Amino acid sequence: METVGVNLLQAILLGLCACLSSVPGMGGTVFGNYTLGRPLVAGLVVGLIMGDITTGIIIGAAIQVVYIALVTPGGTVSADVRAISYIGIPLAMVAIKGLGLDPASSEGQSMAIALGSMVGTLGTVLFYGTATVNLVWQHIGWKAVEKGKLRQLYIVDMVLPWISHLLCSFLPTVVITLLGSNMVDIIKNYLPMDGIAMKTLFTVGSLLPAVGVAILLKQVVSKPTDLLTFFFGFILAALMGVNLIGAAVIGGFFAVLFYHIKMLQLKKPAAVTADAEFEDDDEEDI
Amino acid sequence: MAEMTKKISKKTLAKSFRNWFYGHLTCFSQEHMQTFGYLCAMLPIVEELYDTPEEQQEALSTYTAFFNTEPQLGTVIVGVTAGLEEAKANGQNVDGEMINGIRAGLMGPVAGIGDSLVVGTLIPILLGIALGLSSGGSPLGAIFYIVVWNVLVTLGMRFLYYKGYELGGKAVEFIVGDQANAIRESVVMLGTIVIGAVAASWINVTTAFKMLNADGGTIIDLQATLDGICPKLLSAATVMLCWWLMSKRKISPTVVMLILVAISLVGVLVGFFDPGLSY
Repeated sequence: METVGVNLLQAILLGLCACLSSVPGMGGTVFGNYTLGRPLVAGLVVGLIMGDITTGIIIGAAIQVVYIALVTPGGTVSADVRAISYIGIPLAMVAIKGLGLDPASSEGQSMAIALGSMVGTLGTVLFYGTATVNLVWQHIGWKAVEKGKLRQLYIVDMVLPWISHLLCSFLPTVVITLLGSNMVDIIKNYLPMDGIAMKTLFTVGSLLPAVGVAILLKQVVSKPTDLLTFFFGFILAALMGVNLIGAAVIGGFFAVLFYHIKMLQLKKPAAVTADAEFEDDDEEDI
Repeated sequence: MAEMTKKISKKTLAKSFRNWFYGHLTCFSQEHMQTFGYLCAMLPIVEELYDTPEEQQEALSTYTAFFNTEPQLGTVIVGVTAGLEEAKANGQNVDGEMINGIRAGLMGPVAGIGDSLVVGTLIPILLGIALGLSSGGSPLGAIFYIVVWNVLVTLGMRFLYYKGYELGGKAVEFIVGDQANAIRESVVMLGTIVIGAVAASWINVTTAFKMLNADGGTIIDLQATLDGICPKLLSAATVMLCWWLMSKRKISPTVVMLILVAISLVGVLVGFFDPGLSY
């Protein structure tokens, strides 16, 4: 069986990606969190770093479904992508290869999802850690505003938080990915595949993507009939064999129809006033 | 009305936009989420509009108030305040308190719309298509997402910033007006359909439960029976369970995940779930 692991250079590159890609990350939200941080993109990046793009993408794609809609209302996170993407994906790669699983099989994907999500919970700690260390820089920032040294704000906003990330993104990623390389032997020795622990782990991995989809549904479903829209898409793929691109085109067609109907309603004399209200659930994004 | 003698230069507007685009969340804390990003976006403008350090300091102090919204769509608010600050510097009837009132009033609604439109719809649609392109481990999907998302959102944010600056309060109509609302609802509909397809393509919950007769022959193969009713029925049921727990019982995603761990353990113990693996 081939031995796989993470070497120091790889760990450092992963750590750097973690700094860039977290929620208050140094890559900015557009290129950092919402690009580098997405597990699918991370699959490509980690695959490049680890020298196996195909496995990286397969694992990243599987984990992506769990975190397809990471909405962080009011600055609370259920998971922070830096740990999922740059600790979870590399460890999942190491584990799957070490255990001799086929990454494309449903077992390989369940393993990846279960491992990635477990590691992902660590991200919550890292997130609050970063935010707390940033308080120190913000304190310096307030002092600078008081003294009229306004230019210092740039350093406070864009340079000093690197220190927070060195502590809360870089170091944890490097240490955990390096140590995690030995994890496979431990799993093999103590947790047999047909034992209850591993069976549960694989089962959890198959159930978890449902949470990601449900988080999204919670966001977009405001009345029970909206669920019908969801099941329309579900049936397209499950029963009629339409792939995702096909579903996007069919969905786009219905969206255009819906838009025209809505606009026709609006053109009617302003008889209905209730339409003017739009629902706002006071959620704030960070 | 006073003459508009002070005008923010194109270069300064571009710098302000860049500072917001990159720095809105880099110095995040729970206490002041996007406040420092906002300060950095306004600093070039304040430096250009006001001559003395005292005036600059006074003007910037407006933006020390707490700020947090959905940062992509929220770019319009930064643009609006850039326009307001210009008006204020020209002695029009605008003061810092009024600017802050407008900012505080906008950040909630914009966050609500932005969360459902950007994070809840646009990103999942793009990722859904990307997942389809990346099946089998092809990098194509990831590259598609990187390019399309970055181009779309960069152009979109730039558009919002300058529209906000030019139109001021009227720009908000873009976001909360009737037409915008119709577009939003249509896009959400598209997103919901794609997500349904993503769920069917990527969630794979199966049962190993079989009822056997005395000779070991199968009487009931539950998975085969369920597939006969509708493929992926258990996957849909799992999504519905999670959705119900989260939206009707108000349980947090983390706790829902723990519930799934418990369900898995029990399911494995009674033989409902069995991945059927060995070394």
